[in-house]
Amino acid sequence: MTGLARGIAVRVMPTITVLRWRRRWPILFRFGMLSMATVSVLFPFLWIFLASLKPPVELIRPSLLGFEPTAVNWSEVWLSSPFARYFLNSVIAGGITVIVSLIVGAPAAYAFSRFRTGGTGLRFLILAAQMMPPALFIIPFFLMAYYVGLLDTVWAVAIAHLTFIAPLVTWFLIGFFEDVPRDLEEQAMVDGCTRWQAFIRIVLPAARPGLGAAGLFAFIMSWNEMFYALMLAGGHSKTLPVAIAGYWTFRGVDMGKMSVAITSAAIPVMIASFFVQRYLVRGLGGGALKG
Amino acid sequence: MFRRVVLLLITLGMLGFWLSACRPAAPSPVTLTIIMEQVPDTDVIRKLLPDFEKENPGIRVVIDAMPYDAMRDKILASFMAPKATYDVIIVDNPWMDEFVAGNFLEPLDDRIKGIPDYDFEDFVKPLQDIGVVGGKIYGVPFYNYAVGLIVRQDLFDDPAYRDAYEKKYGKPLTPPTTLDDYVRIAQFFKEQSGGKIYGAAMQPQRGYKIFEEWKNWLYAAGGNLLDEQGNVIIDRPEAVRALELYIEMYKTAAPPNSLNWGFDEALRSMAAGEAATMMSYNWMLPTLNNPQGPAGALAGKFALYEVPGGKAVLGAWHWAIPRNAPNKDASWRFISWITSKRIEKQRVILGGAPVRASVMKDPEVWQKGFGQSYYETVLRILEDAEPLARGPKAEEIIQVVGTELNAAVAGEKTAEQALKDAAAQVRRILGQ
Amino acid sequence: MSRRDRWLGHRMVFPLILLLLIVQGYPMAFAAYISLHDYRLTALNEVRWVGLAQYAGLLENPSYWTAMRNTLIFVFGAVGLELSLGFLLAYLLWRPVPAQNAFRAILLTPMFVTPIAVGLMFRFLLNNQLGIIPVWLRALGVEIDWFGPDLALFSLILIDVWQWTPLMVLLLLAGLEALPAEPFEAARVDGASEFQILRHLTIPLLRPVILAAVLIRMLDAFRVFEYVYAITRGGPGERTETILFYIYRVGFLYFRLGEAAAMAFTLAVVIFVLVVFLFRILRRQEALT
Repeated sequence: MTGLARGIAVRVMPTITVLRWRRRWPILFRFGMLSMATVSVLFPFLWIFLASLKPPVELIRPSLLGFEPTAVNWSEVWLSSPFARYFLNSVIAGGITVIVSLIVGAPAAYAFSRFRTGGTGLRFLILAAQMMPPALFIIPFFLMAYYVGLLDTVWAVAIAHLTFIAPLVTWFLIGFFEDVPRDLEEQAMVDGCTRWQAFIRIVLPAARPGLGAAGLFAFIMSWNEMFYALMLAGGHSKTLPVAIAGYWTFRGVDMGKMSVAITSAAIPVMIASFFVQRYLVRGLGGGALKG
Repeated sequence: MFRRVVLLLITLGMLGFWLSACRPAAPSPVTLTIIMEQVPDTDVIRKLLPDFEKENPGIRVVIDAMPYDAMRDKILASFMAPKATYDVIIVDNPWMDEFVAGNFLEPLDDRIKGIPDYDFEDFVKPLQDIGVVGGKIYGVPFYNYAVGLIVRQDLFDDPAYRDAYEKKYGKPLTPPTTLDDYVRIAQFFKEQSGGKIYGAAMQPQRGYKIFEEWKNWLYAAGGNLLDEQGNVIIDRPEAVRALELYIEMYKTAAPPNSLNWGFDEALRSMAAGEAATMMSYNWMLPTLNNPQGPAGALAGKFALYEVPGGKAVLGAWHWAIPRNAPNKDASWRFISWITSKRIEKQRVILGGAPVRASVMKDPEVWQKGFGQSYYETVLRILEDAEPLARGPKAEEIIQVVGTELNAAVAGEKTAEQALKDAAAQVRRILGQ
Repeated sequence: MSRRDRWLGHRMVFPLILLLLIVQGYPMAFAAYISLHDYRLTALNEVRWVGLAQYAGLLENPSYWTAMRNTLIFVFGAVGLELSLGFLLAYLLWRPVPAQNAFRAILLTPMFVTPIAVGLMFRFLLNNQLGIIPVWLRALGVEIDWFGPDLALFSLILIDVWQWTPLMVLLLLAGLEALPAEPFEAARVDGASEFQILRHLTIPLLRPVILAAVLIRMLDAFRVFEYVYAITRGGPGERTETILFYIYRVGFLYFRLGEAAAMAFTLAVVIFVLVVFLFRILRRQEALT
């Protein structure tokens, strides 16, 4: 700042404060609005977490605080029920879905991105397949799962999840491959690689964040899905959403335990979500949207 | 970072396969898989299993417990398979005729006759009847969920309420035995408590719940869904009256904005001391009177009565054997064991809902269970009870009628119109 | 493109196509087959060809039309609200604000929670007796019947808005951040007001992103099942009967699979028409920019 400018600044000090205030209030306003939104987002989580700490007598009162917290719900759900097993089921179903989706989806996405295989038509056909109502698939799946002996296994659930997750992962990856500079693979091919080798050795590693984000995203989708899981796996093979719904029986809702289950299911994905958020947009646009 | 996350997932996934793949092989020759619902009565069965396996060393029992909504199609898939996945199933009463009509269940008459001291007649008659289709027995009662009237006895005994009621109506305040009394008493509680205590916690949720509650009112008004010849009579004047009274009750004595309440909300309202009465499953009484249960300090102040009019809606689960079950003898061994007088007694003492008359008259059960008057009331309820609907289309009828009833309570239609529409749809479903 | 590349492209797409043929092609063909038959699980020996009778039956089935109408109200209501609210939040988050990253991370969390949990959470949160929200509202003298006949569908829409506005925020915010800086500087130099800039610059430039976001959300909103399943089960009356829940009822409670499949196909057609329509607009917009 020059001396002259400083001089002016000194002279018009009161105006500056007004100016600053005028520059500031939008920030304060925005801060206030965002805080309100954040509170309304966090409040239900807080409420359900508090509910998980309430003894049964407190659950019939709509109080927020003012109860003796107890860990009895937590210990009953995690230690004296097969909840850990359902947790594992969800991890396995999600794991299978992610691995298969990536193995099948990555080459296809690459082909769409580089060779425009099948043109725009095929690309959208694959996305369109994703939007079929799940109720349409459930019956045939049911019979299919039965005949190959997969009914009531996490495999059946994973296969059902592939119907919508595999296309989505493919769609997701197109955008990321588009971001990988073509020079990279062309250079590799000049050095003697085939196109396929260039894809494996150069493009895939370069698109690692995209693959990771797509995988995590697929995992979250599978983790949260209930309709297929409810119909295809019930007993030992049930996944978390089904287990959560299971605390709501015709003998009443076990609110305390259900709250534990909800909190336990939500925390891992919320943490995972912090990693994918950044990439989600690039992926969902599927190359159609410059994210 | 991402590679590490993915790697971790892969490792976890593989660990998972490995864990699920190396379940220990059953050492015994026969393993029975039973599909059950995730409810406390299933936990009671779990507690009894070690005894069964000790007495029957050749048989191992695995219980596959799941949410209600997942059961029906699992059971059906098992039926359609060349060899059943479930050796023993439990059947909710609306499904019974449907499953028999589909030729899915094994008749049990000869097997029952084969056990001399089984005493099938000991099961309370209306419960027996659910399992009998076309003169043959296909199901043996597992546990009942008949509806009774649960009241806050302390309120009915409270001198302040008693005097006020007597002054106003000129008769003593007792648990209601007619619909008119019920509505009046419920309104009285709400007024007298200044709106702090509602007269009745109701369950007008669409579908099963409202029909299950309202049909008690229908019985009390002298109506029914079908007459003896199977004609639909749910649009008769007595039904309209029952529905109008029900709506009056909802509007004047039930907690406000409870139109989507089901069983759970009503129970909580009752447990929180906000309602004086509710129509609910008879075995909710022990839950409410349990000091460690949801009612807390109010425990012990609840009592069970028959619903107004006496005739109640009956619900029950039955044990059955699928026709395509591979080890029917072992399946029957389990069913006959668990429903025998000896084990039924243990089951009821552990908290299971009773189905045998002898058990409900047993002083040992009274003493170790929930007391004489409770079991005697349950027995009275069960003896005069009828299921919601019968026939292969029961489930659909229940849903359709329950939708119309709920629409009437919501004020979308008049009671008369709703019942007319319900009757028309039931006739269509039944092909009349 | 060389022939070798094209051949490689085909080979690389092949596994995906194969997978989709197995997990989607077969079930769809089967569903098409049973939609033309009187196919009831409880009467499998009476399966018979009925042609398009089940589709024709839907035309005179009032419950079907109610469910379709409810679904459309739900989809347009929810996506409309999510778009406005999402745009507002994205706009607020666009320029620096204290704790920006924390806001962003927290505001996005609801979309990662399983919908059944969200449904059950709100069922109790809004419950007149147990929920804290009605208690607070009552303290303010407001009595709202969230799941009564007038508001039930709207309440479900609000729950959807709670869960899915974050996705809108995410997409729109990314769109905003990718906007070129020059036109905005020029507009500011010319003395345009904030509102004028928003109206004549930001929104037109953002239109492709808005359309894509709306499309993504709409496809998903058509599948609404969990909230209905967890809270109202279609009631009061048929006020919240959505099409997927109705399909579930007919298919899995009454086991009339043929009819359920026919309904599912009509839903697919509705979605497809909508998608094609939106894509048309999207592509025209892209051609313009």
